[in-house]
Order: sequence, then structure tokens, then C-alpha cells
Amino acid sequence: MSESEKVYSAAESEPQPTIVIVDDEEMVLTSLSAYLTLETDYNVVTFTDVDEALAYLEEHPVDVVVSDYLMPKMDGIKFLAKAKELQPETSRVLLTGHADKQSAIEAINKVGLFQYIEKPWDNAALLLVIRNACDRTRLLRSLQSKIQQLDEAHANLKSAQSQLIRAFL
Amino acid sequence: MTSRDTAALEAELERLREELQTCRKQLLEANELSAVGRLVAGIVHEINTPIGSILSNNEVAIRSLEHLKALLEEAREQRAGPPPKAAKIVATLMNLAAVDKIACERIVSIVRGLKTLVGGAGEEFVEADVNAILEDTLKLARCEFRRRVEVETRFGDLPKVQCIPNRLGQVFLNIFVNAGQAIQGQGKVVVQTEREGDFVHVAISDTGRGIAPKDRPRIFSSGFTTKPAGLGSGLGLAISRDIIVGEHGGRIDFESEVGQGTTFHIRIPITPKTEEQQS
Repeated sequence: MSESEKVYSAAESEPQPTIVIVDDEEMVLTSLSAYLTLETDYNVVTFTDVDEALAYLEEHPVDVVVSDYLMPKMDGIKFLAKAKELQPETSRVLLTGHADKQSAIEAINKVGLFQYIEKPWDNAALLLVIRNACDRTRLLRSLQSKIQQLDEAHANLKSAQSQLIRAFL
Repeated sequence: MTSRDTAALEAELERLREELQTCRKQLLEANELSAVGRLVAGIVHEINTPIGSILSNNEVAIRSLEHLKALLEEAREQRAGPPPKAAKIVATLMNLAAVDKIACERIVSIVRGLKTLVGGAGEEFVEADVNAILEDTLKLARCEFRRRVEVETRFGDLPKVQCIPNRLGQVFLNIFVNAGQAIQGQGKVVVQTEREGDFVHVAISDTGRGIAPKDRPRIFSSGFTTKPAGLGSGLGLAISRDIIVGEHGGRIDFESEVGQGTTFHIRIPITPKTEEQQS
């Protein structure tokens, strides 16, 4: 377990992180899921088809989405933009063999990319990115739930206050 | 004019002819490299994917084997039977080995395509299968087209043709690269072959923007290009015509409609005439 996972005890009670990987090359998916299954206990879900991946994202909370760039139906940037609409707090990673600066800049600006990784990738570096991406997502989610709790507490205080005022008037 | 003058002039003419031959050879080689050069980004992408997979699989294999070794040693010390987890690791390793094989085959096919185009047998006429040359060239062109341009092949039964395979590959690649550049966004390239009497007919159609009527008379002229600087030398089609007509004694024509696309027709004689071979 990494340092960060120990620090945020709230995360420990949550289920294992879910990582979605999308690449039209079956071989990339096989290699990545074999590696991640060996090294982590993440729930790794892979897709060669972007529409199936989007359908999954509509139904299940996902911590990290890793996507290829060049794919037949839509490119990785378009796909990640749709993933962002479905789950804004999910961390997005682009894994690409297309060494093109323009697409990297576009990806970072358009879809708020967490990281841009070039193929051939380094497993250890990729794992570090995915771990950090998970932490980021979980922090965002716990921040959101804290904000919600605060809002609720605030609303409760308000109603208590108005009850008090009514009792004394 | 004395016979000595005539002899000197003839020698000079011979020298110039040789110089011209050398220039022509250099030009062909330069074009060969520039056509491949334009595909480099696509080729790098196509090779990086399988290499990424192989590298990752190799790392997983080493870790898994270490793990397997530890499991087996532990079982031996405890005089237990084969650990159940071992079977799972072996299954994963077999799966990864199968992926590695596919990945290696992918790289091999790209390298074969490169070999068809560059170097190869040199300038000798040999018996070759035009469909196979097209197939090898398409492997490279597909790196460039990738998901953007769909390729359809309708290959007919062809007899072997007397030709210089890497030169024909160069012509096909020039036309494929042009087709890819003529198509904006999504499109399609159709490659058809058939026997036409003493000729093999190759038709390459694209759904690109077409050639403007005013440009049509000039497309085979050397130095003519409508591409932005850096994308075209204006030599591709001039050299292609030289290879097909001058070297192989064949024909190259096209039909084009603006907004609809262009079709190039290449006709190569199955056995070229000797004088055409030499010209």
C-alpha cells in the first residue's frame, strides 16, 4: 500500500479503485491488465470500443480512465471529454503512440488531463501515475462529501436558528 | 569535321549520358527515401504499440516467474503438491506469450514493407507478384491512413510480371500518400487489379478532393505541386511516370472529379520489350 492510501483513512473503507482502460488494440489491454493485476488489487476493466466504455461509465463509479489517442470511432480526446461529462471527478490519462505535441496540448487544455503518457510506456512510471490519479479522485470525492456535510450542517443550523427565533418571539 | 573531332564529341556525349544516368539514379533514390520519410511518424506509431506491449509483458513475465519459483520452493519445503496459484500464473504467462507473438508479427510485417520499398533487389528486372507488392506497400500506407482512411482491395488473379519490385512499390506508395493527403477527414481508398491482355492493370481510387481541371495537364511535370511547402517535392508523379513508362514500358493515366475523388490507372506489361527495358 502506498503512503497516501494510509493517510486518507476515509479511503480504506471504500471498495478497491476501479480503473477503466480503452484502446482499440487488444494486445495493449492484455498487457496492461496483466501488469496491473500482478502489481495491484485494482478492479481493472478494459474496452476496445469507446461506446461500451461510455456505457460502463454511465453505470459505475470509476477512479481513473486511461485512453489511447487514435481510435476508429472517436479519438481519445473526444472520448475523455465525454467521460468528463459523465464523471467530472474521475482522473483522465491519455496513453498514446502518436508523438504529436499538438494533440497533447489539446488534450490537456480541453479535457483537464491528469497525465499524458507516450507509448512505449514504462510500467513503473505508469503505475505511479495511476496511483496518484486514484488518490486525486478519492480526495476530490471526499472533499465533495465534506462540502455536502457542511452544507447539511449549515442548513440544520439555519433551521434551528429560525426555530429559536420563532420560540422567543 | 575531322574524324578526331567526331570521336571527341562522341566521347563527350557518352560522358554526359553517363552523368545523366547517375543523376536519374540519385533522384530515384532520393524519392524513395522521401516517400518513406513522409510515413515515418505513422510507422513509429505502428511499431510503438507492439513494442510497448512486449516490454510490459516481459516485465510481467520476469516478476511472475520469480513468484512462481518462490511458490514451488515453498511447496517443496512443505512437501505439498503443486500450489493452486501456480496454474493461474502459468495461464497468464501463456496468454502473454501469445500476445508477444502477435506483436512481433506486426513489427515484422512493417519491416517487410520497408524492405520492399528501400534497397531490395536493386535495379534488376525480376518476376514478381504485383498484388504482393501492393499488399506490402499498403502495410506502410496504412500506418499513415490508420483510422482515417479505409482501404478496400479487390485483387484479381494476376500472372507474374517482369519488373523492378521496389520501383513499382515507390510508384504505388507515391499514389497512396497523395490519396491520403487528398482526403480531408474520413475517406476511402480502393485498390483494384486485373489482367488486361498483355498488361496488368492497377486502379487506385480515392474519395479525396480531386484535381482541379487547370492542374490536370501538369501533374506529371517535375516540380509541379499544389501541396504546402514541406509536404511535397513535386517529383512524386514525375518519377512515377518515368518508372512506369520509361523503365517498364507501361502506361499511367488518371481520371478525376473535383469534390469526388481521383483514380489512377497503371498498366504494366507482363513482359516488357527489350528496348524499353534498356531505355
